[in-house]
Amino acid sequence: MANNANAGLRITTNERDFIEAAIKEDHRIDGRTPFDYRKLHIKFLREDGSVEVQLGQTRVLAVVKGEITQPYPDRGNEGSLAIYTEFSPMGDPAFELGRPSEMAVELGRIIDRGLRESRAVDTESLCILSGRSVWAIRVDIHILDNYGNLVDAANLAALAALLSYRRPECTVGGEDGQQVIVHPPEVREPVGLIIHHIPIAVTFAFFGDGNFQVLDPSLKEEEVMGGRITITINSQGEICAVQKGGGVGVSASELMRCIRIASSKAQSITETLKKAVEVHEIERAQRKIRRHRNLPTEIEAEVEMEEAPEVPEAPMASEPTEPEQAMDTERDINDERMSDATQLESNEIKNADAQVKKSSRAAGEKDIFAGGESAWGDDAKLTPLKGAPGTRSSFFPLDSDALVEFDVAAKAVLRGGVSSQRMSSKVVSAPLQRQISGQIAAAAVYANQSSAHIAEEARSLGPIFPRVADMDSTEGIVSVEGTEAELGVLGNSTLETELVNQSEDKPLNFLSSGKKKAKKRKSGGVRQN
Amino acid sequence: MEDGEVAPAGVGPSGVSPFVSKVLAPGDVVLDLNSANKVLRVGSGLRQDGDSILATKVGRLRFQKQSNKYWVEGSQKRYIPNVEDTVVGIMVDRRSEMFILDIGGPAFGSLPILAFEGATRRNIPNLQVGAAVYARVVNAHRDSDPELSCTDASGKSAGFGPLKGGYIFECSTGLARGLLNKPTPPVLEVLGKSLSFEIAVGLNGRVWVNAPKVTTTITVSNAIQNSEFLSPAQQHIMVKKLLEEL
Repeated sequence: MANNANAGLRITTNERDFIEAAIKEDHRIDGRTPFDYRKLHIKFLREDGSVEVQLGQTRVLAVVKGEITQPYPDRGNEGSLAIYTEFSPMGDPAFELGRPSEMAVELGRIIDRGLRESRAVDTESLCILSGRSVWAIRVDIHILDNYGNLVDAANLAALAALLSYRRPECTVGGEDGQQVIVHPPEVREPVGLIIHHIPIAVTFAFFGDGNFQVLDPSLKEEEVMGGRITITINSQGEICAVQKGGGVGVSASELMRCIRIASSKAQSITETLKKAVEVHEIERAQRKIRRHRNLPTEIEAEVEMEEAPEVPEAPMASEPTEPEQAMDTERDINDERMSDATQLESNEIKNADAQVKKSSRAAGEKDIFAGGESAWGDDAKLTPLKGAPGTRSSFFPLDSDALVEFDVAAKAVLRGGVSSQRMSSKVVSAPLQRQISGQIAAAAVYANQSSAHIAEEARSLGPIFPRVADMDSTEGIVSVEGTEAELGVLGNSTLETELVNQSEDKPLNFLSSGKKKAKKRKSGGVRQN
Repeated sequence: MEDGEVAPAGVGPSGVSPFVSKVLAPGDVVLDLNSANKVLRVGSGLRQDGDSILATKVGRLRFQKQSNKYWVEGSQKRYIPNVEDTVVGIMVDRRSEMFILDIGGPAFGSLPILAFEGATRRNIPNLQVGAAVYARVVNAHRDSDPELSCTDASGKSAGFGPLKGGYIFECSTGLARGLLNKPTPPVLEVLGKSLSFEIAVGLNGRVWVNAPKVTTTITVSNAIQNSEFLSPAQQHIMVKKLLEEL
């Protein structure tokens, strides 16, 4: 009597009768029509090959991992694909830990047949060294929430995970040509699996004497149904697997009808899946840009300021983790890459940079970079960026120069109030300007600036550059020609005297030489370049 | 909220706890019995600890003047039986002297076979496993199984007993309680204006709906489930939309 184990769904005869009566009238308890799928949502997680699929309230997580192993003796030049399922009680109180239940085994088998036996995933391309090393791909399917029709959701999750999985590239080398070298992702781009076709599992439930079918049964419908059938079919109409596990019999004509419906549903689901994968690919490409390390953190930039920027806190502390390295890199970059993005900086920045750094640097960091006057002079010619528009065809992926440039723009934005539209310097060619403004706009959104027009522009560029958001506005960013307020904080008297004539609202030019500007300022105005 | 300290001596003008309608957490002292000089009824979610009354659940403190009763109202998915709750139970077993019902709590409830109006030894109600029953909790001590009854205190059936036909859906205890509020919740009001149906609300988070037409039942159950976190205006709009699709 004290048995309180809620083992599974308890359903009343009232509900049973009602659900059957409703289906006989083509009504379902959640308001769907008999051949309606629930809302499908595919979410790609951070790591390549992890996907969470939501079908109505059913949630399934699939994770793909690859490992290099020895092949099976009788299939020496093929890799392997294995499907594992996890039915933890988290998904449903009826699931028990330990031995997989019959349903769990059946689910694993259906997905396995659909993917492996139909040759959807190419296993021969997984071979590295025939007979010795092959890739073993493993798909782990976790049921997070069981609200009916786990098969379809799990199959989709496995597919999406396989489509988004990237394995490290490996080559065969060494003296004897028998050594397998696995290249880390930073060195060589990981490659995806070869997938020939996309088999979609479509499940039907039968009621009454088998003459009433519904698609995508929910939890209560599964409790009440008389039988079920799963048809795995791809968008070309090729049937990859059919599974009917017991239950009420179904006539041949009804079966053909189900297959026809499954075929059309498979096409629309394949479209949805492909679109989701595409969006994910774009996001991933954008994210890859930020994988560089050791970017200079101290590069200053003169940018136009719309309003008073955020007052940066005390000294220009570089990134706390690697201050010296950053300084070194910056120096290197300043020395070596003069034809690159750093040319965008004015000379005075470097001058004032040194001065400010001298004066406001925290003890212990002083004068690591003893800049001094620039050797470039006032009329440093600016050559276009390596890879500037015209020399490369697409905006993405950006190369390392553009990355530096982006960094510059991002920091400028983080200081606040950067307008991506106010770049009026004639020195910058228009396409380059657009590019830079685009990047600034992108940086703005990533740095969560609240400027409305920036956000709008940047929204079209898409998401996620995590490092920019990590960047602190206090990281060593000093604008040489900032507003008085900003410089006041720095307490640099030399700078203040220089800029005392400059009004707060005058926009700063993005690329003008510092010295020139100093002259102009003394004469009471900033020349608009 | 204070940490197990005694409530302030000035409890309120009439000895009423100052925390009525405030949100409490387990362990909060509600009332100091020395200062409240009346006989109190301690309801669900509260317990007496020496001289003070402590909350044991998260929720809002409620007080009813007529019966001098305090209780804590919260919303959960899981049901904890309390005396005088009306619940919808599902028959799972039949013993010689009682029916065993699943009321969604930590333990099954027992319903004596004679706890029906007009039931005698010769005339035992014929409940099958899987039947839905509307019952009242008679006894719900923390350490024993709850006892149920299908009659009210005077022995009349008062709507209790087996439920025939209809459909049952689950919801949170908060929503179930909200459905039984005195000013009828907007969702039921709007539905009632255009559809004819009957519902039996179990405070254990189960609601039974019955209507002559299948579509009505489906609409009503979906509307109620959707209405949990909507404001009255939103509930109006949601119901109107559902009715249009009928």
